[in-house]
Amino acid sequence: MSDRVELSRVPGLPLDWSALQARVQQVLDAGPYWFPVRHHSPTVALHVGAAIRARRPRLVLIEGPSEASHLIAHLLDRKTRPPVAIYSSYRDDANVLGLAGVATPSPDVPVRSSVWYPLLPYSPELEAMLAAQEVGAELAFIDLPHHALMKPHRPPENDEPEPRVEAVAPSESAGEATHERGSEGHIERSEFYQRLAAAAGFRTFDEAWDGLFEVGGQARDTEDFRRDMACFCAAARATTDPARIASDDTLPRERFMLREIRRHLSERELAPEQAVVVTGGFHMLLDRDDPELPPEPPPGTLNTTIVPYSYYRVAERSGYAAGNRAPAFYQLQWDTRQRGGDHQDLVIEHVTRVMRQGRKKGSALSSADAIAVTQHASMLGRLRGRSEPVLDDIEDALITCCCKGDPAEVGQDLQAAMREAAVGSRVGKVTRAVGMLPIVADFQAQISDLELGEALQRDRNFVLSLDRKQPLDARRSAFLHRLCYLGVPLGSLDPEAVRGTIHRETWTLRWSPSIDPAVVERSALGDTIESAAAAKLEEDLAHAQLSAGATTARVLDALRMELPDFATRLHDVCGPAIDADPRFVSLAHGLTSLLVIDRHAAFRGLRRDVVADLVVRCYGRASFAIPDIASVPPEEEREAVDGLQAVAEAVLGEHEVALDRDLFAAYVSSAAAQTSSMFMRGVLLGLLAELRVIDGAVLAAEISGLARGAETAMVAAGDLVRGILEVSRASLMLGADAIVEAIDELLRASSWEIFLVMLPSLRAAFEKLRGADLGVMCDRVAVRYGLREVEELDLSLTVGAAALMAEVDQRVAQIMEGFMQGFSEGR
Amino acid sequence: MATKKTSKSTKKSGTKASPDAEVGTEQEAGAGASEPASEGASSDGEVLRQPAEVAHADQLEALRQNESDTAPASWWLSPRSVLTYIVGGKTLTATIRGKQTEVEITRKFFGDDTVVERAIVTLASERALLLVGEPGTGKSWLSEHLAAAICGNSCLTIQGTAGTTEEHIKYSWNVARVIAEGYTLANLVPSPTMNAMRSGALLRFEEITRCVPDVQDALVSVLSDKAIAVPELPSSPLIWAKPGFNVIATANSRDQGVNELSAALKRRFNYVHIPIIGDQRTEQSVVRQRTSELMQRYGLQAKVAPPVLDLLTTVFRELRQGKSKEGIGLKQPGTTMSTAEAIGCALDAALHARYFGDGTVRPADIARNLTGSVVKEDLGDLASLREYATLVGKKRGAKDPVWKELCDALEVALRQ
Ligand SMILES: Nc1ncnc2c1ncn2[C@@H]1O[C@H](COP(=O)(O)OP(=O)(O)O)[C@@H](O)[C@H]1O
Ligand SMILES: [Mg+2]
Repeated sequence: MSDRVELSRVPGLPLDWSALQARVQQVLDAGPYWFPVRHHSPTVALHVGAAIRARRPRLVLIEGPSEASHLIAHLLDRKTRPPVAIYSSYRDDANVLGLAGVATPSPDVPVRSSVWYPLLPYSPELEAMLAAQEVGAELAFIDLPHHALMKPHRPPENDEPEPRVEAVAPSESAGEATHERGSEGHIERSEFYQRLAAAAGFRTFDEAWDGLFEVGGQARDTEDFRRDMACFCAAARATTDPARIASDDTLPRERFMLREIRRHLSERELAPEQAVVVTGGFHMLLDRDDPELPPEPPPGTLNTTIVPYSYYRVAERSGYAAGNRAPAFYQLQWDTRQRGGDHQDLVIEHVTRVMRQGRKKGSALSSADAIAVTQHASMLGRLRGRSEPVLDDIEDALITCCCKGDPAEVGQDLQAAMREAAVGSRVGKVTRAVGMLPIVADFQAQISDLELGEALQRDRNFVLSLDRKQPLDARRSAFLHRLCYLGVPLGSLDPEAVRGTIHRETWTLRWSPSIDPAVVERSALGDTIESAAAAKLEEDLAHAQLSAGATTARVLDALRMELPDFATRLHDVCGPAIDADPRFVSLAHGLTSLLVIDRHAAFRGLRRDVVADLVVRCYGRASFAIPDIASVPPEEEREAVDGLQAVAEAVLGEHEVALDRDLFAAYVSSAAAQTSSMFMRGVLLGLLAELRVIDGAVLAAEISGLARGAETAMVAAGDLVRGILEVSRASLMLGADAIVEAIDELLRASSWEIFLVMLPSLRAAFEKLRGADLGVMCDRVAVRYGLREVEELDLSLTVGAAALMAEVDQRVAQIMEGFMQGFSEGR
Repeated sequence: MATKKTSKSTKKSGTKASPDAEVGTEQEAGAGASEPASEGASSDGEVLRQPAEVAHADQLEALRQNESDTAPASWWLSPRSVLTYIVGGKTLTATIRGKQTEVEITRKFFGDDTVVERAIVTLASERALLLVGEPGTGKSWLSEHLAAAICGNSCLTIQGTAGTTEEHIKYSWNVARVIAEGYTLANLVPSPTMNAMRSGALLRFEEITRCVPDVQDALVSVLSDKAIAVPELPSSPLIWAKPGFNVIATANSRDQGVNELSAALKRRFNYVHIPIIGDQRTEQSVVRQRTSELMQRYGLQAKVAPPVLDLLTTVFRELRQGKSKEGIGLKQPGTTMSTAEAIGCALDAALHARYFGDGTVRPADIARNLTGSVVKEDLGDLASLREYATLVGKKRGAKDPVWKELCDALEVALRQ
């Protein structure tokens, strides 16, 4: 291994290399002049640019989405700064594919698909465009529109199983993908590459590519380089099973490209020699006599635009062949060569960057280390049969020279530094000249008005603390809430920070390539972010019509988004929903939202009396609905308990609106009497204790009652205790002694088998306790079991564990006692 | 029990002995540092364990004859040939003892080849090499083969212990003669370090982190000055290192001391971490190859059938990872469960099969030795093994007779 392997002499390959070379030469010599590329390769970019500048063709055709040809001028605009992506989205409004309701959640939702085609500053496609512009050549994209690959729904024949929807889009689950360069996958899987990798010891395709073509590639003659690449791709294609090629989108795309090349030439009446074609290397060997026609794209709504992209995303996509494992490293390679620097300069600069990042994280890295790494990388590269080190060699050298132990343990900071230096955080920019949809323009105007641009410069988290008493912050908050509501993934609100005060909010913002497309998607709702949010809110309110919970939640959203009119419409919107909704849980949610709305009231210019009236109405209806929950099925118990606690908090909390405690208590009492679920009974009784309607002694009596009852009743006692502890807070503090005593009685009375049945509920019950409650309970348990020194109990354990430990000790003592007695009696 | 002793002492020979005895290993070095034993393979059949450069003299010679790259100063082979020697996979034509022969270069070290590449490059650089990892991951083994291939001498070795002194690292005096004749160069007893320096060879420093800091400091000056001063002699001469001199140290990451190399020493070393072998196939290859080599050495006829080998490596991997293939969580034993232990276990079983059985290693032999290698001093480990037998082994035993035999035997062994 590791010896330099000649491409023409890959061992064990059934390939006639000179015949292959002859075939490739034919293709290379034929018109149009075809240049094979690897996407995102800086060295290929250099040569394809050189070739176009030397040949000065009239027309340059590039593998890019043909539906985006009109955007080429904007890609070349000086104000567009890569990384950017061509974003193309399709929506089947008329359901011509018949996929609505089949590949989408409902027949109302049309099927969609969208694709990103990322471009970096050193993408060969971009460099080809720039060179074409320089020599005055016309430019066009010739790749098949992605939606032409969508297959219409075929209803299953009688005995045929329903086809899976996998064929729907050339993409992943969400119908969104980065342009899949399937061809590179073919190269990697080909027998040629596999044997080459085995012989040369390549661990990844990236390593192979870099060693074969990037290192030293810039100094080579462009035509030699082109020939080697073509041979490499031809060898891969010749050793790939044709059935495999036929199984993906390769052939339809090639048919389309072929047709487009011919069309462009004949439309302009050009000879093939006057054109240059730039495609992935694999496609260069396409079947020029393929008689089949490419698929036609279905009609529908197509949106094509250019959006900013980031290195981070490009790196994330590596491995899918559409990405690049180290965008910042290859950028550095590109920049270094443009400056006339050599490979050594690149290595030193990259190592220095890693060191800088590493030191920021606190690693002790010296310049002696940097020198050692550079030297080590070169030697490692040579040992592996390359004239200069590739990124893999540099990274291995960094680990060897700077990581003093197991990389998985002591090398984490170093590896993070290596990742950051290799990937980078650059985000691109798109010229404003790209015809912007009004809503996109509004979005960008707001970003700049609200001074949020800074947060979007880099692909990393940006934390923003807002005080809504400040006018700018109030507007920012409203804007961010609107974006959230519209599903534009710009930022998220820290839920903890909302709880304390309604004025302060903490947001985490982060740039993402899905932001722009999401805004584009919402253009159907309105021309501005505000109007789109208002339109969506109206739609949602219509759906929420009969739900108190959902309606009030939407109103709260409206307040946070500062949508106008809602202040006056509050009563008309919420009143009917409250009156119509019979469901306890929904009403309980409604009550919670209304109390928050009440806190917003003064601040948002709402009429207090209207809010108060709604609160009282909602509270009353929630109370009346309590009997329903006496018989909720177990899977809905959770929700019911949350609802009950919310209402109890409302009753016990301090607000301007006075709520009738007795009303709630009366309904809780009657539900407690009716319910057949021991858990719910515990919950309801616990609530009554919290409301001071009953005291701890009553709860205790309830538990001891079960202890004295039949064994079957005893089994349910665990659930009762769990219910009580679920909701009890204050009552527990006050009645802990009695309750502990009752639980103890229960445990004494139960047999070992019954105890085991109760155990899970009991454990769950005690694990619910927190903080001070836990302390009180531990205290009581400790005293009860004679552990006077309370300190001896480790309070860091859950009380469940503590109580159980005490219990087990007790049991063991009893058993031992019984055993000893029996023993002595037996004697 | 008797079989146990034999194998343990052979496995550990040269690693557990006293420091004095270790320094004694320089005997061959002193004489043959510049003239390593390349013809020795046949002459000393009586030696229980030959150094790598002797055992694999033919392979090294074949690589030398086929050399196409340049070797660094004082290196016997180019880095690429050293790599080939360690990872194998080639057959070379060479003239060995006057005869044209096809020599197969066997794989010596199994696992990630980048580890070996990084180690070789380090040895050709300004920095010294420290191989770190769990016990039994083949650190000493790799170090020996690297030294054999690079300078034809793997015997310039210092064994680090708490009792290692500066004298072991630099030099000492023949006291009797110093009393009679005074300090002269002839009365100086060089250390392996000094011998390595004089011949531009590699010094192997085993378990370096067991040495006390003062002793480690002695090495700092050797590494930075590339010279040892002898102030006792009238002219206070410096003994200089020839180009090619470097150090391969090993350290056990289970020893608490690893990170306690002084900052000054740390800087002069590149650390290459040797991971526990990642995949089972590779581990099986190691165990198979090493066991058969060792059995040959003992003239053992015993055979370990593939299913038994598979069984053995499976048990070791699952216990080491604390998880069975089916995803059952297991209590990990305190012992490392290293590949080396697996080899030891296979060898013990083979010895047992040879002397007390019919020469075929059975699952039961494995079971008996498992209790030996897993349990060792620790009763908690006994519980791990028992848990393993019950949770994992029993189920497999229902379908697979090999597993059934293992479990039955384990049950018996664990009851004792
Ligand atoms: N990856 C490996 N390749 C080859 N042999 C190995 C490997 N790991 C362990 N061994 C074998 O295990 C035995 C003990 O290894 P050793 O080098 O003493 O371990 P360490 O020094 O790491 O404690 C040696 O006989 C060696 O052959
Ligand atoms: Mg060792």
